[in-house]
Amino acid sequence: MPDAVSPNQGNTKPFPPTPKPFTPEDETALREALKRCSPSAFEAAVQFRKTGNPEHVPAVVIGVIERFVEPDLRMKLKDADDDLRLIEDLGIDSLTMMEIVILVEDVLQMTINNDELRNLRTVGDVKTFIDCKIRGLTLPKPTKFIPIEHIGAVMPVQPPFLFLNEASVSSTAANGKYKISGQEFFLQGHFKDNPVMPASIMLEALGQLAVLYLLEGAPTEPGKVVSPQTIFFTGCEGVRAHRICKPGDILSLSIKPKRMKMPLATFEGAIRVGQEKAVIVEEITLTFGLVDAVDAPVPINGTAAQSAAAAPVVVAPPLRVAINA
Amino acid sequence: MPRVFITGLGFITSIGNDAATVTRNLRELRHGFEVYPPFQKPEIPVKVLGTIKDFTTDSPDPEDWTFPAAYKIKRELLRTMAPNGLFAHCAMLQAVADAKLTEPDISNPLTGLYAASAGSPYLLHYHNDRLNKVGVMRCSPLGIVASIAGTLNFNLVAAFKIQGSSCGFSSACASSAHALGYALDDLKLGRQKRMFVVGAEDGNVDAILPFAGMRTLSLQTDPNLASRPFDAARDGFVGTGGGVALVLETEDEVVRRGVTPYAEVLGWGQASDGWNVAISHPEGNGSAAAMTNALRASGVAPENVDYVNAHATSTLIGDISEARALRAVFKDAATRPAVSSTKALTGHGLSLAGAMESAFCALALRDGFMPGNAHLTKVDPECGGLNILRATENTPPDIVVKNSSGFGGANVALVFKRVA
Repeated sequence: MPDAVSPNQGNTKPFPPTPKPFTPEDETALREALKRCSPSAFEAAVQFRKTGNPEHVPAVVIGVIERFVEPDLRMKLKDADDDLRLIEDLGIDSLTMMEIVILVEDVLQMTINNDELRNLRTVGDVKTFIDCKIRGLTLPKPTKFIPIEHIGAVMPVQPPFLFLNEASVSSTAANGKYKISGQEFFLQGHFKDNPVMPASIMLEALGQLAVLYLLEGAPTEPGKVVSPQTIFFTGCEGVRAHRICKPGDILSLSIKPKRMKMPLATFEGAIRVGQEKAVIVEEITLTFGLVDAVDAPVPINGTAAQSAAAAPVVVAPPLRVAINA
Repeated sequence: MPRVFITGLGFITSIGNDAATVTRNLRELRHGFEVYPPFQKPEIPVKVLGTIKDFTTDSPDPEDWTFPAAYKIKRELLRTMAPNGLFAHCAMLQAVADAKLTEPDISNPLTGLYAASAGSPYLLHYHNDRLNKVGVMRCSPLGIVASIAGTLNFNLVAAFKIQGSSCGFSSACASSAHALGYALDDLKLGRQKRMFVVGAEDGNVDAILPFAGMRTLSLQTDPNLASRPFDAARDGFVGTGGGVALVLETEDEVVRRGVTPYAEVLGWGQASDGWNVAISHPEGNGSAAAMTNALRASGVAPENVDYVNAHATSTLIGDISEARALRAVFKDAATRPAVSSTKALTGHGLSLAGAMESAFCALALRDGFMPGNAHLTKVDPECGGLNILRATENTPPDIVVKNSSGFGGANVALVFKRVA
């Protein structure tokens, strides 16, 4: 379980790796390679090459990505949010991804295989991936994007009490979206002639995202899966509501696991609307249990086979160069 | 079969980067040659080039290039271009504006694009060199599409969202004339209603100097004397690059859009020498057959041709072959058409030549002139008996023939007609 947040097991490589001597010729080549990147990216690359300290890697990676993003989209990288999607948000196509990879390989002196590129969907994926490569760590499970049909098929919670429209889950975080439609039954009374999303329901939505994380993202013991019937709320701390949310608002929900120790899983969570904070939760804790994978309860509303057929997980096409030649 | 017209032109050439400048230089016989700095080394005897002005493309990194600010090209497009791709892209933008085409006119299943360039020997060399230096998995992912033969059509078709026919043509110096001929066929056969025809070449050290080994390049150091087609003192061709785009449309489209065409494309013909990989047939058999085929396809009698824009590149053998071919096709000395080679002004554009010179013919037909054969002091006796224009004539031609020939003995002739 702990390798959800520190995938360090089985690592035998020295850390940090001993850097090769960094010659003035190397610096000249590095300057040339990064000539269209920000000075801070160059500086971070120099530091990394001199010390081998992986703390400098994110600045290099962000600097390289920024250089390949069209100028009018670069602002998005300024407050980079690890959930920023390479294709959808930054307009990076698979060819550009290859340009990024080759420049990163060149400046960080590493090798990235085609297979490793497939699951890099977000800026966070790229940062984590390169960080793991440099530290010689096992890569975390890739981010999975989960459409509404699949959420409905795996979750114990069902409409009209399901507050997730879409979600993505990796082994280190889960993100989701929920649009307040105005048709939610409780808005009729909360409040009279003034529909406001209840803070308790927003907390519930975060809890649901944590449930989805446990079912779809959390690493488990071999041969075991988390049973949906065993997950329940146990407590939360440090809840603050910052913004009134009303019909039409799109809630961006995120949770990250802080501690996982059977049978408790503790998360931090946040809800934003655009760039505005709506709700912050320092800790939200769920209890859960494992069952054998073969005896896993079938998803609600049908057999496993049927629901798999009805609601296949949409796997994004791999980020590779599509060769038309 | 529908009639086909030229409705738009775009030029990035050694004699001008817009139609007005090109027209003036054709009329006034001003050449585009310069002593080319990268040739100025003791070990390089070739000194002169038909240079492209206001563009610098001497870096392998397109983001280092400079070009007129009027052309806005995103990095996403620029990154896969060779120099010839940049020239052609700019020429396409001009041709699109000139023909007053809207986006739906350009991107639809009945509009295609045929292109010709020799690829980019410069970038091919650079990228293969990188591959050897930095390793197979770190060569540029864009190196291939930027450099191999076909780079021009790959880039233009993607950049302009072409949905109709697309293809690259590779018959060396006849390439873009072939492209124009087959574009005409697609329109006549009703497969397409509009075709872009584009020729382009890098025209830099790596594209031009390999011809030195064949001894086909002029070693003249004076730009005013270097390119002298049909002249007794000619000593080889002067290289050039650039990009030219033409818009061809069927009559229905011309009427529907209400545009005034430059000229009608009547027909074309081709024939091969069946002789030698690089030496033209001594009697110009293939070239003569191509002209005869083109005139027959166009329903034009030889005596009705007013002007021939010759292929004549200023090489010793080639110009004689073409002169013989012209005498064979236009048998009656009294009615022989006026002849000139505008390569005396531009230099030899290789794959670009056919499209560039066809576009010159379109300008001549619209504006009513026949450009002279510059730098002609004494006609080579072997090229005698032709009505080679020493100066530009302001007589409007009605029927114009454009010749192109390439390695392997490929010959193409195109026939254009003035729009009354």
